[in-house]
Amino acid sequence: MTRDSRKPLGLDDVFIVDCDVHANEPPEALAPYIDMPWRRSLELLGRGPQRYLDIPGYAPILNIDPPFPDRGLGNRTVATARQMRDELDELSIDVGILFPDNLLKIAVFPHVDYAAALGRAYNAWLADAWVSRETGLYGAVLAVPQDPKDAADQIRTYGADDRFVAVYLPVAGLRPLWGDRMYDPIYEAAEEMGLPVMLHSVGIIHPHFPFNLEHVESRIVRHPINHEFALMANLFTMLTSGVPVRYPDLEIVFTEGGVSWVPFCMWRMDKEYAEIPTGAPFLERPPSDYIKEMYFCTQPIEEPERSRDLLTMIDLFDGRDKVIFASDWPHHDFDHPRTVLNMPFDAELKRNIMGETARHLFKLPVPVPVA
Amino acid sequence: MPRIRVRPADEIQPGQPAFVSHGDIEIAVFRVDDGFRAYRNRCPHQQGPVCTGPVSGTLVATADTDWRLAWVLDGRVLICPWHSMEFDLDSGRRIRARTERLRAFPVEVDNGEVFVQIGPRAAPAATG
Repeated sequence: MTRDSRKPLGLDDVFIVDCDVHANEPPEALAPYIDMPWRRSLELLGRGPQRYLDIPGYAPILNIDPPFPDRGLGNRTVATARQMRDELDELSIDVGILFPDNLLKIAVFPHVDYAAALGRAYNAWLADAWVSRETGLYGAVLAVPQDPKDAADQIRTYGADDRFVAVYLPVAGLRPLWGDRMYDPIYEAAEEMGLPVMLHSVGIIHPHFPFNLEHVESRIVRHPINHEFALMANLFTMLTSGVPVRYPDLEIVFTEGGVSWVPFCMWRMDKEYAEIPTGAPFLERPPSDYIKEMYFCTQPIEEPERSRDLLTMIDLFDGRDKVIFASDWPHHDFDHPRTVLNMPFDAELKRNIMGETARHLFKLPVPVPVA
Repeated sequence: MPRIRVRPADEIQPGQPAFVSHGDIEIAVFRVDDGFRAYRNRCPHQQGPVCTGPVSGTLVATADTDWRLAWVLDGRVLICPWHSMEFDLDSGRRIRARTERLRAFPVEVDNGEVFVQIGPRAAPAATG
C-alpha cells in the first residue's frame, strides 16, 4: 500500500535518525572499565550520594541557583540500551546516536590521565553494553581533549567498529577551543576513519570562556551562552586555524544549538575576513563557504511565531541538506520529532532533515522493513 | 453532547487530578478551590502529557511586589513534565504567554458525582 501523497507526512512515514540522545553513565557503571588507580575513585563515587548530572569529581557543575518546588527540569535518565530502545520506539525514532550524560563535562578535569582514562572507560562501556546495529543505537567515540594522542588512538580503535559512527568533541569547560593546533591528532584520526566530529556542550559554570558565568543571575541567560555562544566560539577558531582546509574530508557537526545562529556566523566572519584576511591565512575561500559545508542539529529547534521563518533561516545558509534532526532525549529541553516534522517544510526536506541526510553522513545501513 | 462520569467529587483532591478518556482524548479533572476544571491532557507546546505534571506555584516580580521575587498561585499552577511550561489551573492559560491555553471542557457536579461535557472547544466552567 502506498502513502497518500496529499496527506502530511506522519512519524511512521519517515526514517528518523536522532543525532543526539544521552546514555546515563553513573560512576559505578564505568568502574569495571576504567584503569587503576581510577577504578578506586569511581567505586568510591558510586557508593556516595549522587545528584542529577552533578557529581563532584565526576560531573562537576557548580549549581548556583536556589531551588524551587517542582522545578526539577525533568531529571530523566536512560540507564540501559533496552530502556533507550523502548523510549525511542515511543518517539518513533529509528536510530539514535549516543552521547554521555555526566561526561559531557569531561573537558573540565585538569588531571590529564584521569580524563583520558574516563574517556577510554566510557568508550569501552558503550561498546560492551549499548551500541548495536540491530537496535539502531550507535556510538560517538568520546575524544578527550586533554590528551589528543590518546583520543586519536581511541578514534582509530573504535572507528574500525561499524557500531561507532562519529567522534564526540566535548565543548563544556574546554580550553583551548577546538581550533587549537594541539587537537590536530584528533582531526587527523577522525578524517582517516571517515567519522564526522560532533561538537556538544552542556550547561555548566566554569572558569573557562564562555562558561565563566558565575556572576549571571538567570539560568536562561547562561543556557544559550553555554551552548550557542560556545559553539560559535569554537566554530570561529576552527575556521581561523584552517581545520576545514587542512582536513578537507572531515565532516563537522554542531549539536544542541539549533540553527538560527549560523547565518550570523557566516556574515560576521565574512566581514572580518574581508577586512583582515591575514586573520585566517589558511582559508582559500570566504568563511561562509566552509560553514555551508558543515552540519547543524535541530535541537533545540527554534519555534518562531511564524514557523515559515525557520525555513527562511535554513535557506540563508543553504542548509536544506545540512540540517539534521536531534531530540536530545531524555534531557529537559528535548524536542519531540513531531515538532520538527510539523514544520512547514516540503516532504523532501522533511525526509532529509528527519533522517536521510544523517543516514548518508553517518553511513548508516538502509533500514529493512520488519516482516 | 456526551457527558462522561468521572468520579465522586469528594474523591478528587487538590493537586491529584482524576483522568477519564473519550476515544483518544484524555481529560484530567482538577479540584481548584471549591470547584473543578477539566483539561485535555495534551500540552499546546509539543503535545506532552501536561496534566500528569506537578501542581505547584510560580515566581513573579512585579510593581506590586516592589520588583522583588514573590511565590504566587501556590497550588494553582500546572507544570508540563516535558518542558516545564506553566499553566494557570483556573483559566487554562499558559502563564506569561500570549495566547496558548489548555483545551478546557465544562464540568458539572450532579448528586456528588463529577461529570465532564465532551464537545466543541469550550471555556472552563466552575462549579461548586
